[in-house]
Amino acid sequence: MMDKKDQPTIHILSNSSVLFDATTLLGDKLAIQKRIWALASQCKKTYQCIDIVPAMNSLTLYFSNETKFIDLKEQLLNSWKTLQPEDFKGRHHKLITRYGGENGPDIEHVARFHNMHIEDVIARHSSVHYQVLFLGFQPGFTYLHGLDTQLHTPRRSEPRTHVPKGSVAIGADQTGVYPADSPGGWHIIGHTDFTLFDSNQSVPSIINPGDTIEFIAKDIAS
Amino acid sequence: MITVNKPGMQMTIQDLGRNGYRHIGVARSGALDPYAMIIANRLLNNPDNTPVIEITLGLAQLTFTTDCVVALTGADMKATLANSPLAPGWTYQIKAGQKLCFATSRSGFRAYLAVKGGIVCSPTMGSCATDVAAQFGGLTGSALQAGDHIPIIPYNGVWSQRGAISPAARQHIRVHSSPHKHLLTEQSLTAFCQTTWHISPNSNRMGLRLKNQACDLTHIRSLPSLAVGPGSIQLPPSGEPIVLLNDAQTTGGYPLLGTVISADLHQFAQLKPGDTVKFSYVDLAVAAQAQSKLNAHLQQLKLALNTLKIKR
Repeated sequence: MMDKKDQPTIHILSNSSVLFDATTLLGDKLAIQKRIWALASQCKKTYQCIDIVPAMNSLTLYFSNETKFIDLKEQLLNSWKTLQPEDFKGRHHKLITRYGGENGPDIEHVARFHNMHIEDVIARHSSVHYQVLFLGFQPGFTYLHGLDTQLHTPRRSEPRTHVPKGSVAIGADQTGVYPADSPGGWHIIGHTDFTLFDSNQSVPSIINPGDTIEFIAKDIAS
Repeated sequence: MITVNKPGMQMTIQDLGRNGYRHIGVARSGALDPYAMIIANRLLNNPDNTPVIEITLGLAQLTFTTDCVVALTGADMKATLANSPLAPGWTYQIKAGQKLCFATSRSGFRAYLAVKGGIVCSPTMGSCATDVAAQFGGLTGSALQAGDHIPIIPYNGVWSQRGAISPAARQHIRVHSSPHKHLLTEQSLTAFCQTTWHISPNSNRMGLRLKNQACDLTHIRSLPSLAVGPGSIQLPPSGEPIVLLNDAQTTGGYPLLGTVISADLHQFAQLKPGDTVKFSYVDLAVAAQAQSKLNAHLQQLKLALNTLKIKR
């Protein structure tokens, strides 16, 4: 089994990248993740990285050239000790969402699966401030924390070949929004016109790791 | 302008790729063999990052509607210009109306065509590289199709035929150690290095899948998602490693066998289905030395070209 440690591990991945790994730490994963965002924000100010990528309880730094790792290791561990979960303040985003009907063809399935009314699915889904843990899978795709356990639903047995951009969906213990048309195996419960990713904008993704998201129900189809 | 008559297996516009957006899920993209691309640009006195055409396997045909000078590097696809054979590693003058045809490559998998003055393309997030999966970059966000017109700067000024040698091909790839030694057994890591791996046909610009039925690396380990990038070698539960390439996703939950050293990553651009490859772990000093050797190769080319300039 993995050792549970009180200090993160730093792995040198290559001559120009390093992985700060806090996955083996004991304690609340969300609190650890908040410190990861704070560390990412501090690294952005301190180092000349070409990319700084938070993932689940880890942070990877990419440099353009070879790096002296001895100093870096010590600096990262020292920073970690002083950082608190409250040190990072993300932005809050409200995503106007049309649930059900043709916007959410799978909402009935989700309701039936949990033996609840469609209105309850909407109420539970839209009453949470979700934390954006990190982005990945495709540009602008957010991994969110906070889905009500009563809404956890196994993924579709047959993934759809086409899920429209803006689809709000549930897959297992996660919920999220498809930032572009793509195949997908999650249950579509609604649609938002909020643009998660636009490659033509100077800021292509308005939503960043550490932000919060809220789905606001509008024009509920009966 | 260049008209695409036949794009072949895959033809895309690439440069050295985009940085700074991995935290929002945007891949680096860019030429899979950046050394071939840089050499092509340097032969034409273009800046290194000038967009080029990446040609996969061959079976492609282009018609030029303007005069220009080009450089062809990378895999030898038995190219012909107006029916005369062209050798890779050289510059050529092309006249309006001429056809450039690519047969297939016996060794190597990707060729690069650079145009003096460059392809006219407006960057997306700082780069002209086409990200086929995410559908942006290049001219239209997708691979080039038959009938596409690629705008270029016409050129019929002075030129000279110049050639350059590419860095040597290797089938023996050097790898940085795994950050997941505690999850993958010592036997697995040893077996990974002792096995001759075959490139699966199910490979693309996102990743190269490796197969060998005699080697069983199946496992049941999964991880919290971590950042991955070009050169990360993932080991999915199937036990068939995946070497992630430039269009790969930015995070993944499979354990990593290691990371390909920066000096060897470009080798995967030239491996085609059925080719074999072997791996060995090296330390940071060996990786740094290998990179310096490659940098010296490019530096030497720069010096040689500068000397030519002075002579003229």
